[in-house]
Amino acid sequence: MNWFALKARRLSWPSFASCLLSALALLLVAGALPWLSRTDPAAAVLRARYAELEPTEQALAAVRAQLGLDQGPLATSLHWWSGVLHGDLGSSWVSGAEIAPGVWRALSVSATLTVFATIIALAVALALVLPAALRVLRNRPHSGSGPLGVALTALPEFLLASLLLVLVAVQLQWLPPYGWTGLDTAVLPALALGIPAGGLLGRLLADAIASVAAERWAGIWHLAGAPAPAILSGVLRRAAAAVIDQLGLVFIGLLGGAVAVEQVFAVPGLGRYLLGAANAQDIPALQAGLLLMAGSALLIGMLTAAARRALRGGALPAGSLPAPPEARGNGRIQRWTAAITCTALLAILAFGLPRDPYTLAFQRLQAPGAGLPFGADSSGRDLLARVAHGTLGTVGPALGIVACAILIGLLLAAAGEISRGPAVIANATPPILAGVVIAALLGPSVGGAALAVLWVSWPPLATHAASLLDEARAMPHIRWLPLSGVPRGRIWVQHLLPAVLPALLRHGMLRLPGVALALAALGFLGLGAQPPTPEWGLLLAEGIGYVERAPWTAIAPATALVLTSVCAVALAGIPAPQRTGTRGTATQQDPAARNTPVPVS
Amino acid sequence: MSIPALEVSALSALRGHGAARRLVLEPLGFTLAPGESVAVTGPSGAGKSTLADIVLGLELPDSGEIRVLGQHWSSPKRSHAPARRRLVQGVPQDPAAAFVPRWSIRTSLQQAIHRLAPPAGPGTGIDRAAELAQFDTALLDRRPHQLSGGQLQRAALARAVAVNPSVLVADEPTSALDPDTAQAVAGQLLSTAANSGIALLLITHDPQLAAQCSRTIAIRPPSR
Repeated sequence: MNWFALKARRLSWPSFASCLLSALALLLVAGALPWLSRTDPAAAVLRARYAELEPTEQALAAVRAQLGLDQGPLATSLHWWSGVLHGDLGSSWVSGAEIAPGVWRALSVSATLTVFATIIALAVALALVLPAALRVLRNRPHSGSGPLGVALTALPEFLLASLLLVLVAVQLQWLPPYGWTGLDTAVLPALALGIPAGGLLGRLLADAIASVAAERWAGIWHLAGAPAPAILSGVLRRAAAAVIDQLGLVFIGLLGGAVAVEQVFAVPGLGRYLLGAANAQDIPALQAGLLLMAGSALLIGMLTAAARRALRGGALPAGSLPAPPEARGNGRIQRWTAAITCTALLAILAFGLPRDPYTLAFQRLQAPGAGLPFGADSSGRDLLARVAHGTLGTVGPALGIVACAILIGLLLAAAGEISRGPAVIANATPPILAGVVIAALLGPSVGGAALAVLWVSWPPLATHAASLLDEARAMPHIRWLPLSGVPRGRIWVQHLLPAVLPALLRHGMLRLPGVALALAALGFLGLGAQPPTPEWGLLLAEGIGYVERAPWTAIAPATALVLTSVCAVALAGIPAPQRTGTRGTATQQDPAARNTPVPVS
Repeated sequence: MSIPALEVSALSALRGHGAARRLVLEPLGFTLAPGESVAVTGPSGAGKSTLADIVLGLELPDSGEIRVLGQHWSSPKRSHAPARRRLVQGVPQDPAAAFVPRWSIRTSLQQAIHRLAPPAGPGTGIDRAAELAQFDTALLDRRPHQLSGGQLQRAALARAVAVNPSVLVADEPTSALDPDTAQAVAGQLLSTAANSGIALLLITHDPQLAAQCSRTIAIRPPSR
């Protein structure tokens, strides 16, 4: 009987076919990137290599034939993959040199950095998990990981890296601000990468331990007189099994964070390599970098699968174990934090919006004063005005993204299991990598950055919409509507949508600050909005160059970003309200309450 | 000999996916004449509710065929034509299922009549249905949650007969009511069906209620 139940939860064939087709499409697209590139690759190559040649039709056609771009996407893709299988990664469009040696060197730098970052992450995670484990030993389990875990995960990597650079390297001058020349240059990048990852890891595990230790069997073991270490090892094993899938996603997220951190500290790793390739629109280099990134992600996935197998004693289908623990408690602190940060952001808006963000009305880098609360930037523009208008420039597109993600989520949820494959891939894509690819293809723009963030935003909403739709369809009166002759389309519009939309909108709004931060990260890397548009990430990137002479240029946008980050984490920590009204639906939980990517199951 | 209201032949149903797919309703066949009432009894898991859903047209069978008034109603590949929806109606176990919570009883009845059986004059359809089901017309403008269980079950019966169906499916219509109300509602159901010439398929586990029908069909859970 048990076997039947397990078998039933295995992938059904539509979702299997969907995963397979999506993977094939991904491989095809990866190979065909040169063909997809909107900027004419032939013109790019011609400009880079043969500057003396006029871009005549003849010359362009010759270059196209040389690159094999005249044969369409499939041939381009197959040609590239056959090269990859022979160990040939092609040659750069810009320099014409072989790609392989450079990209391998970048990978070795990134791998070293990852080792350091992992050490830091493990230390941070251990610091968070230890109190929870000690409480289990003393048989006094307690809920949650506390404010320390929240504080450690509050800042996204690009922001933490900027703050470390400003504080430790520039102000205190304890460590070198950039480069990759020795152990001392590795400390800050490793901290910037390791602290958020370790904080998330530790929080997930500590929350899981707290919730597992409250399970019945733990109490029974205790009553039976089992020694405390035995109980702890049982609790640890079960807690690790519950969060192992999310841990894999945390490490894959590190790959995206590495792009920002390597850029801030000028570390010549794979992330910076990718960013350089995207900015130069050197598609073969981008392809090689992405291939290695994807390979690393695959390796992490396989390690996660092996760890899961070891922890759970065999392969289990998705969804056969309970979902990872939810945030608990009444969320009063989180509510207050969210309210205070929102008020502060609104205050910046209220005072800054009437001011002019574009006029060069002040002295360059003028210090903050009575008439100029945040100071002036490197061109003499009012920073308060720029940060306030940047709120519109960042949160406006973020609102659009959330609305689109809700719409896409609804449509794909209605489409059912066919959407599973794209969802798995989208869920495992770090937004920065998506941004790098889109910027390389379309050139950097707000629209491209929004597209990249949208690509990673829809899966959790689609998963939630699917469960909400299932719930609504099972409501007795909706099941019986066809009996009164109500057509299917009308049931959808008039009865299903009103039942589903409120919860989905609430979920989308909870994700808004996170989406805004992802957009800002892309802007910071130069992959989103372009100067002189006021956009938070771009403002921070502009300010960080003057941080020694005028720290306020970085502090002003960083304040807005930190406020948004804290708001995002606080919102994610508020427990979902108890659903009332419909019968038998209490088991459905709001995925927005989890602060990590929601596993698609 | 007149055309049977409902013909069910070799009907069976499978549920679940993959290896867990199993038979939930063993092949079954019967016919109902207009005005006849048949009780379907059986223990839990025999497929009674599945049978009700399939006859109602909410689900499709996995084998066999259902004909209503001699014409196709449901088979594994094909459901009924929208124009024939009127012919088979039902009374649910939980009468609230027959009504949209935010609509008054009158609105729900109007919707059903408007979509399925346009009436000769305004109001006539609803009043006739309420009279057939002995539903107090003073209660028509209330919402479902403002009615008692017995009142609501009569309202559900009124909604079902308002569109002048040929077959009425009642799935445990009295199991949520207290014994006296259950008795009254069951009697109403049987007499309304008999008076209007509607074939009644009554799903129940109550032997007393089953005994009031013209015939009883006992079904068993499929063996694994």
